[in-house]
Amino acid sequence: MIRIERRLRESRWLVVAVPIGSLIGAVILSSIILLATGHDPLATWQRLLERGFFSEGAFSATLVQATPLLLTGLAAAAAFRMQTWNIGAEGQLYLGAVGASGIAIALQSQSAALVIPAMVLAGLVTGAAWAAIPGALRAFFRTNEIITSLMLNYVGGLLITYLIFDSHSYWRELSTFTSRVFPQGKYLSPSAAWPSLQIAGIGVPFGFFIGMFAAAGLWMLYRSTRFGFEARVIGDSRSAAHYAGIRTRRKIVAVMALSGAFAGLGGASEIGDFRHVLDPRGLQQASFGYGGIVVAALARLNPFAVIVVALLLGGLSNGGFSLQGADFPAGLVGTLQGLILFCALAGELLVHYKIRLGRPAGVSHKPADAARVGAA
Amino acid sequence: MRGITKRFPGVVANEQVDFEALEGEIHALLGENGAGKSTLSNILTGLYRPDEGEILVRGNPVAFHSPRDAIEAGIGMVHQHFRLAASFTVAENLVLGHRDAADRGFLLEPRVIQGRVAELARRYRMPVDPGARVWQLSVGEQQRVEILKALYRGARILILDEPTSLLTPQESKNLFETLRLMVAEGRTVIFISHKLEEVMAVSTRVTVLRQGKLIGTVLTKETNPRQLARMMVGRDVVFTQKKEAVAQTERDVVLDLRGVTALSDLGTLALQKVDLTVHAGEIVGIAGVAGNGQRELAEVITGMRRLTSGTVSIAGRAMRSGDPLAAIQQSVSHVPEDRMGTGVAPSLSIADNLVLKSYRRAPISPQGWLRAGRIRANAVDLMRRFNISAPGPQTPTRLLSGGNVQKVLLARELSSRPKVLVAASPTRGLDVAATDAVRGLLLEAAARGVAILLISEDLDEILALADRIAVLYGGRIMGVVERQKAVVEELGLMMAGAA
Amino acid sequence: MNNSLLVVIVASAIFYGTPLLFAALGELLAERSGVLNLGVEGMMLMGAVSGFWAVQTFGGPGWLSLLSGVAVAALVAAATSLIHAFLTITLRASQIVSGLALTIFAGATGLSSYIGHVANLSGKPAHHEFTAIDVMGLGDAPFIGPILFHQNALTYASWALVGLILLYLYRTRPGLHLRAVGESPATADAMGINVTAYRYIHTMLGGALAGVGGAFFSLAITPFWLDGMTSGAGWIAIALVIFAFWRPELALVGAYLFGAFSSLAFTLQARQVHLPPEVFSSLPYLMTIVVLVLVSSGWGRRRLGAPAALGVPYVREER
Repeated sequence: MIRIERRLRESRWLVVAVPIGSLIGAVILSSIILLATGHDPLATWQRLLERGFFSEGAFSATLVQATPLLLTGLAAAAAFRMQTWNIGAEGQLYLGAVGASGIAIALQSQSAALVIPAMVLAGLVTGAAWAAIPGALRAFFRTNEIITSLMLNYVGGLLITYLIFDSHSYWRELSTFTSRVFPQGKYLSPSAAWPSLQIAGIGVPFGFFIGMFAAAGLWMLYRSTRFGFEARVIGDSRSAAHYAGIRTRRKIVAVMALSGAFAGLGGASEIGDFRHVLDPRGLQQASFGYGGIVVAALARLNPFAVIVVALLLGGLSNGGFSLQGADFPAGLVGTLQGLILFCALAGELLVHYKIRLGRPAGVSHKPADAARVGAA
Repeated sequence: MRGITKRFPGVVANEQVDFEALEGEIHALLGENGAGKSTLSNILTGLYRPDEGEILVRGNPVAFHSPRDAIEAGIGMVHQHFRLAASFTVAENLVLGHRDAADRGFLLEPRVIQGRVAELARRYRMPVDPGARVWQLSVGEQQRVEILKALYRGARILILDEPTSLLTPQESKNLFETLRLMVAEGRTVIFISHKLEEVMAVSTRVTVLRQGKLIGTVLTKETNPRQLARMMVGRDVVFTQKKEAVAQTERDVVLDLRGVTALSDLGTLALQKVDLTVHAGEIVGIAGVAGNGQRELAEVITGMRRLTSGTVSIAGRAMRSGDPLAAIQQSVSHVPEDRMGTGVAPSLSIADNLVLKSYRRAPISPQGWLRAGRIRANAVDLMRRFNISAPGPQTPTRLLSGGNVQKVLLARELSSRPKVLVAASPTRGLDVAATDAVRGLLLEAAARGVAILLISEDLDEILALADRIAVLYGGRIMGVVERQKAVVEELGLMMAGAA
Repeated sequence: MNNSLLVVIVASAIFYGTPLLFAALGELLAERSGVLNLGVEGMMLMGAVSGFWAVQTFGGPGWLSLLSGVAVAALVAAATSLIHAFLTITLRASQIVSGLALTIFAGATGLSSYIGHVANLSGKPAHHEFTAIDVMGLGDAPFIGPILFHQNALTYASWALVGLILLYLYRTRPGLHLRAVGESPATADAMGINVTAYRYIHTMLGGALAGVGGAFFSLAITPFWLDGMTSGAGWIAIALVIFAFWRPELALVGAYLFGAFSSLAFTLQARQVHLPPEVFSSLPYLMTIVVLVLVSSGWGRRRLGAPAALGVPYVREER
């Protein structure tokens, strides 16, 4: 018999202990899966950590993975804080990549000082616009934003595939014979490559810096602006928000757009920091949009924690990708992410409730004497 | 029941309570809100398990692990908030979870069941259509379904939790007749209430609880309301708050409703051509059985619901319909019926909730930035002035008691210097001290010239506080009477739509 | 006549709609008990991979192998849904986040992919597949033949399932109790109905049916196994439940409507209609959005037919 009681105040140390415990729990559970399929878990984890964090150049590669995860994590945190469920960061990231690469192709003869800000802006705007669709449907037609934003992920994926593989679009390279037979996107000019800052021998992508500023901005927004106050009220109780005269509909569209802007920025950074070409396959395989949900949940929607968690999960992804092969099957990263989320959810219970094991005291079975209910 | 103790996180709801009820009696369980009556009855019906103590039925000790055990022991409960599935028919509600020899089949036969239900309804003179869906029924009819449900299960002991709180005076009388019919058959009725008069009118014996403890059991004919009140409250006086009359003609009309018509959430007509005025410093009470347009009336005045026709004017200025912000800016304050969830954002701190309507202006947010220091200072000030007891301004509001939540709400709504205050069931579920405090605040506000619309199902409250009383039935005002000239029976007739 | 465009489209709409129908019926049962499970996509992929694995692994005659495939798919997906049931019913976790977690855990980049690669299933045709059965030789009957009498066994089973669930919901005692648990768990509890048990059972039934829907992809549609092969069908199934107002017979209509959108690409391309494949492929997703908007805005402001307690954990001892 498990009994669950509400805590009168949140336990402070658990707020830190739960995410760490979730990671440990997920590692233990996936070790069982590894063992069951005939893999040595210890060796697997050791190699994963090595490839993710400690081997030469590993941390730079991890930062490349962590950058989009940081931005999609912020996207999820921004929306989830208001109980608005934007599951469409994946598609918004694709659209951000489309926008950023499009503007970079258009401005290819311009200097970096012009091209890079334009790419950032284009990523923000296209991501925000794509997210505003489910936002507006939610606000004005009460359509479930979970499903609509998710459906748009598939549409976004098909859109980038179409742009490169099934059309002679602006993004596709058509100048050589091979590129007409084997479709690929136009490579961007060097002026569109985002600078990577060398700190202690580690290359920190420009997008990661923007992401850290974005995290601070999001924190400020929720903490000390009218906008953030209204979002907090809406997130806690829609009817209280309506009662307080808050324009709920506009706010939903605005927060969805904000969330989409973060994800779109993630797409722009993928182009500017890493790929330098609109690459439908690569973008879809990475599934950074869904990873962002895991990042945000494990960070308990705290923007600064999102930075730390993105680095951690970025390391796992990086290790996972570079090890992929016969002895490190695909799918382990997603499995691990799912397990982390499960553990975090179970851990959330510990923050809010006390759990007692054992039968409740009470109901005794002593023989009767005087007082009774319903006399015979 | 012997030595029953039940603890919840932070409170002891029942402490060493002994209680007994005899066959063929109506036994009243009296106590103010929060005295532990509901907890005790939930233990008796197997919904909660006691931490200590034992229960005996006809001399046999029983252990209820679930409501089903209690049902099998012949105990039936009519909850204050009905436990009915609204989209189901009356008959479906009756057979829910039921198991006996005659009614155990895997397949349902609606016609057979409906026939049996109709027969039971006839026998206890509680007319109700077994094929009707519960949401189509009036509150009184729904209560009949609840009682029939218990009887259908063969309950020998019937517990009714505050059964008259939603009924008109006439409906209550009919209910008492049915109850007497049932005890005449040798059943036991346990009647939970905090209203002294009805306990005196209907019961054989009375057991009084206070703060979770047993105070005593007395024979009804050997006691009087005064003694019961003292047992219940622990002091002599009950309510001293009473409104001094104001001569309304001398004052300006502040709230003016003309031909107000509005729809309910389901799209049916909830208010039909309502005309109503409230003067400065006046309290107008809206009496009526719940669900007759009270909620919509409050929402229309506070901008939370759109009008389909008519106008609402505040101090002579017509208000934009369906815009809560417009109402706030025109100094309309609102204490909503659903205080936790609508009136406050439950997980936000007390300090945040105290600026829920003023956050968008200086001094709280000059240039769009919130000033944490000022939010805190505002909270400290209001918590002191309105006597809100809480660990601190950063405490999440959901952790407060009902009385303190209501004080948070009133502190915010009254400190904004309103012209109009709409208060819906402002004391429902509060204990005596908190009720007293809330009523005091309303009277103080009226004395300062606020026009108050008091919506309440508690006729006694309206009779104590209001200058004029309007009765709402089926979305129409059935009549407006001055408090001095009000006769309870007449109000009751209007509440039932017969006037 | 039986090759006319209309007949081909209707017949293939039923074929492509069948997995959607299984998954939607499963989600409908779970939601009727008050549990929203957004993990349908993940459970379908678990069903697809485990059903395919069973058919490749267990020998025997084709029908037995396929039967074992469906059974394994149902069991594995039900076990997957048990995680969601435990987290949301017992531990009262957020149903939305838990469902998403389930999809990430089991989905295209998760456990289903892991299993598929470990068991080395990709790139191989199924040993057996569900083929159309010509019922009583009526498969060639004009017009209705290809539509009603030339489908595979799972499609016939799905029709029986719609009838069974209808009967269950509206004409049996457990069905009545199920509806009460989703409508008003406090009432059901007070009437001695075990709310927790009903929710667990129907969440897992929902998982099992999603698993069968997933197996339909790997054993009837393709028939081979591929990472993420359901490509969003699970999400469309969730939308279908809303579209169907939580009624099984309307879920059937909706599933075939979306089956038609899915099959249009193949049918029209075969008929030399040239449009980019992405246009057809995105049709089911775009139509899901359109239909949801129509349902949520057009037909009344209330969530017609939605179980009142959907998504709300039930806690007895809280005050």
